[in-house]
Amino acid sequence: MPAKGPMIEANQLSKQYGSFTAVRDLSFSVAQGQVVGFLGPNGAGKTTTLRMLAGFLGPTSGNVRILGHDVTQEPMLARQSVGYMPEAAPLYPEMRVGEYLSFRAELKLVPRNQRKAAVSRCMEQARIADAKDTLIGHLSKGYRQRVGLADALVANPPLLILDEPTAGLDPNQIREVRELIAELGREHTILLSTHILQEVEAMCARALVMQKGQLVADGPMNALLREQNTRSLHWELRGPESTILNVLEGVGARLKNSATSPPGGCVQLQTEWGKELPDPEAAVEQAIALLVQKGVGVRRVYSERAKLEEVFSALTEAAEPSKMVPGNIQIEGSAP
Amino acid sequence: MTGFWAIYKREMLSLWVTPVAWILLVTFLLLQGGVFYSIVSHYSGAAELSFDNGPIEAYFGQGSIFLLVTLLLLCPALSMRLFSEERRSGTIESLLTAPVRALSIVLGKYLATLSTYILMWSPTLLYPFLLRDTGVVDGGVVFTSYLGLLLLGAAYLAVGTLMSALTQSQLSALMLTVLLQFGMFVLGVGEYIFDPGLLHSICSHVSMMSHMEEFSKGIIDLRRVVFDLSVVVLALFTTTEVVDSWRWS
Repeated sequence: MPAKGPMIEANQLSKQYGSFTAVRDLSFSVAQGQVVGFLGPNGAGKTTTLRMLAGFLGPTSGNVRILGHDVTQEPMLARQSVGYMPEAAPLYPEMRVGEYLSFRAELKLVPRNQRKAAVSRCMEQARIADAKDTLIGHLSKGYRQRVGLADALVANPPLLILDEPTAGLDPNQIREVRELIAELGREHTILLSTHILQEVEAMCARALVMQKGQLVADGPMNALLREQNTRSLHWELRGPESTILNVLEGVGARLKNSATSPPGGCVQLQTEWGKELPDPEAAVEQAIALLVQKGVGVRRVYSERAKLEEVFSALTEAAEPSKMVPGNIQIEGSAP
Repeated sequence: MTGFWAIYKREMLSLWVTPVAWILLVTFLLLQGGVFYSIVSHYSGAAELSFDNGPIEAYFGQGSIFLLVTLLLLCPALSMRLFSEERRSGTIESLLTAPVRALSIVLGKYLATLSTYILMWSPTLLYPFLLRDTGVVDGGVVFTSYLGLLLLGAAYLAVGTLMSALTQSQLSALMLTVLLQFGMFVLGVGEYIFDPGLLHSICSHVSMMSHMEEFSKGIIDLRRVVFDLSVVVLALFTTTEVVDSWRWS
């Protein structure tokens, strides 16, 4: 392991394709050992950013350092520390899995006498040891994806950059890949991109959120989600509707919709907290206490899963990109 | 030059495990065999043979248009997929993020096609060997003829490598290379059209026909060697620049 210092340092990174700006003034740093999720809708500039970090694209302005080595100034040194899996894991269909990984190991400067061991280790890690002699062209999408992952791992680099590692996989394969990434996160720094919120939630301690080529949020995932979860609530209550509405409106909830199911006399409600409410969680507590006090049966209260779009809109409302210092937005006092 | 050897080996594997090289090899050898057979049967019926005008010379040079036509198709077909396929399928991304320089990639790929080209010609070494039973074969002529073929192939494959880097479609790469080679071939014909002068000199310098004609007579003209090697260096240098420029597109 190399000396201390950040694994990735991106400084004022911009990329322009002609007149289109894909990434604008992106600055962030990732410490060694972190597992970071790169989140954003399609077309937010995630792939472009990852390609710049991996050295496939040169930034129009700004720079990237991997373990202190500038990706454009010292490309060979910087690239040696990175295991990069491009989106959709492109491979040579005419090669066998073992041949391909051996070729990649040689290309990534794994010494000749360690190559065989490196290939079997990474196949073991990516759980493709049984496919060693299979032609890549005959593999299923899930296997190909894992060959791509094995390729990223073959030289045992300190940093893994994975572009949409679970795209196009079935739910079982997604679960496997998630487990694998969690396992790898113990020894490697990982930066992975996705447009699925749960993905980041399941795998990453920290999330970077991009929108329209700019960083709109940077912080621990749970803080990012809690913020959203508690804004919208579902209630299942038993009691007179008027009492219930009185109580809820009294603590500042806004009614979104309600329905009464006749058999048990239950009232189902959906409420939302206004943005001005400083502490929604305390309000939930207060509301439940009051409801119980008034003799209303509280059967279920649960927060709705935030959708990515909602998180985005909340984050973009909270921090207008133009007014924001990139890399410095913190959610609920979290330290990156 | 780290990575060169890995690229070279992979490219060779890629050429020979797919049917491309084998189909080319069979077609190529059938054509060459047919041409050689007809040349030999023609000379066996000839009344008189002069010293520097035998079947070997006819096979390699002296307007043996068949040889040139096969070269026109063989070289572009070998080089067409080098970079275009990598870019179409996206594997170029893995390649360019590995710690390997563009020059190593270009040389590895190019030399793999050149080696394949040499391998394809090697069975034809049998022809002069067969002729030794019936007459005298000038070893020097055989050597310079193959040198001429090597230089010509090296130049065309380098041009093909560049064309393959300029387009994402194999077919476009093939057509562009054929077009350029055919252009040089047609320019060479100009040698017989223009009166001696500047145009005549230009045409005779790039002419494939005069090129092989000279080499098949045992003449090694340094100008021909320099011309071919210049094409190789220029094309490969430009390819390296093109590969590097993809990062900044």
